[in-house]
Amino acid sequence: MKAKKRVVTTGNRVAKRTPTVRRIRSAIVPARPRGATPAGGDGRSIVARDHEPDESAAVDLSVDLGRGLVLENPILVAAGTFGYGVEYDEVVEVERLGAVCTKGTTLKPRIGNRTPRVAETPGGLLNSIGLQNPGIDAVIDRYAPIWRGWRVPVIVNVAGESVGDYVEVVRRLDGVAGVAGIELNISCPNVGRGGVQFAVDPDAAGAVTAAVRRATELPLLVKLSPNVADVRPIARAVADAGADALTAINTLSGLAVAPDRDRPLLGNVYGGLSGPAIRPIALRVVFEVAQVVEIPVIAVGGVTELSDVLDYLAAGAVAVEVGTAIFADPTLPVRLVDELADECRRRGLGGCASLVGTALPKRPLPSSVKGVEYRP
Amino acid sequence: MSMRLASAELVDSREILPREWLQAFHAPHVALGSRAGQFVHVRGGDLSGLVLRRPFSINTADRASGTITLHFRVQGRATDWFTHLRPGDRIDLLGPLGRPFEVDARSRHLLLVAGGSAGIAGLRMLADEAVRDGRQVTLLLGAESARHVYPSNLLPDEVEYVVATEDGSLGRRGTVADLVPDYEAWADQAFAAGPAPMLATLARLAATRRHRLGVAKLGRKRGHGRADPIGSPAARRKAFLQVALRQRMGCAVGACLGCVVMGAAGTPLRTCREGPVFAAEEIDWEAGW
Repeated sequence: MKAKKRVVTTGNRVAKRTPTVRRIRSAIVPARPRGATPAGGDGRSIVARDHEPDESAAVDLSVDLGRGLVLENPILVAAGTFGYGVEYDEVVEVERLGAVCTKGTTLKPRIGNRTPRVAETPGGLLNSIGLQNPGIDAVIDRYAPIWRGWRVPVIVNVAGESVGDYVEVVRRLDGVAGVAGIELNISCPNVGRGGVQFAVDPDAAGAVTAAVRRATELPLLVKLSPNVADVRPIARAVADAGADALTAINTLSGLAVAPDRDRPLLGNVYGGLSGPAIRPIALRVVFEVAQVVEIPVIAVGGVTELSDVLDYLAAGAVAVEVGTAIFADPTLPVRLVDELADECRRRGLGGCASLVGTALPKRPLPSSVKGVEYRP
Repeated sequence: MSMRLASAELVDSREILPREWLQAFHAPHVALGSRAGQFVHVRGGDLSGLVLRRPFSINTADRASGTITLHFRVQGRATDWFTHLRPGDRIDLLGPLGRPFEVDARSRHLLLVAGGSAGIAGLRMLADEAVRDGRQVTLLLGAESARHVYPSNLLPDEVEYVVATEDGSLGRRGTVADLVPDYEAWADQAFAAGPAPMLATLARLAATRRHRLGVAKLGRKRGHGRADPIGSPAARRKAFLQVALRQRMGCAVGACLGCVVMGAAGTPLRTCREGPVFAAEEIDWEAGW
């Protein structure tokens, strides 16, 4: 087709609303309003900024997740949305992320669930991939050599059907160069056995965590499920069993109906809901969990902009994983790193530690589960 | 050329058929770097509630002007949003993505089999490339009725265009698969896009073609060497039938595994990375995925 004369109009709403190129560029070369720092702010960072072209170096965003796993910044990418870190490398500066959580990986290869596997829902995404993955040995062979050369820590998300499976996978990962930590997926809703059954029972969650803890010296994160009445006993059990940090939350179980309304849409019937639709639930779980455990909590659920990150930090999370939003906006996580640094600078902070837990109550609040408190 | 994330400006937009739109965007990177069969993953406006991009076949690409066209049917809120774009408006575009059609250098006669407008969109650029390379192209289209038949003036003059409609209001009454037997022997290679059941029917026809027609397999003379790995460009180039699949997509870069289709070898293949073009024999058509 022959190109028509290009007409640039300034008064249209789309041009105003989607300045994508500008946003992407600004992520690489930050051009921020200056002088926003209050007069009594951090003078040191102002000086540093004048002499330091890399503005993000002026603020220390690093986060210690324990057992030697220190992230350069608190923005991670969530398991299942970023593959093994290599798929997006042509459009995302992967090494600027706080960490990469890999696709859930099992002992043996899994072909996953029948299709359709994804459905868009209001403010969310329903998926039932079913832990398709090439198995732990193939993952170590294919990707660990690549991860070894990266500055960004790679946290392998591990799933299994039995305690023995988890232990075996973790044992194989122990000592592999390029693997910085384990995120234990005890909460995948899309597989028949294992998965979520560990995450709904404090004893089972504690047992699998303890078994894995004995099998490895790697930093150990455990990902909690929101598909429970009260998440606090489970969080406590996992922390007591030796987890270094908690990730909250995995997806919520949901359903979509096929366009013809003759059956459920997804091949696996049920799917896990993610995206902005679940953000208030994830915030509530982070808030509850942060009050009952001493270990760091990493929030995940529907992050699409900086204010979501700040909300999660205020609710008690020390770091945040970005997931579903990557599909629409792959450069979002890296941009959030810059925006968070800018926000700290704007508030005159040397880092984001003081933003953590500001919304937490002085003394623990009762759970959101009303049944207990409302009993006569 | 590698995928890139960039914004693209709308330069032309029109409704060519009822609820079917043809839009041209200035996207030099995609226009220069794409081949027929590839797609772009497009982010529309900030429609509250929509969290995914939409995959579109690259309908045509004009390197000289740096424009590409997308051809789509309005199916929901996102596609409807696109119809309200005006020249100068911008969209966010990730691409080019996926693997292209592979045409054997010796193929003189190409049969393009399109099921509906989605089928046309998947094959339109291949028609351009084939005509440019001096090949003879026959395009078979199946549509609901005469109202839905893609206008012939939007095709290169060199393309022979044959239509079947379900109600018989134009061309032969029936499906596009009913047209195929007349051209099967003529064609050196066939390329299809459209609904999955139609592609499965064509795959069954192609699987028995050698037996029925007694024709030689492409690349037979190289026979003694090692077979090309399944799914490689070389293996696809030798396939009689290549299909462009459509599947619900999440990331479109191979990370989320949402868009898989079951492969003949029993492992799922990603429509976005290993596809969207596959040789027909790479797919397990009976798996029902």
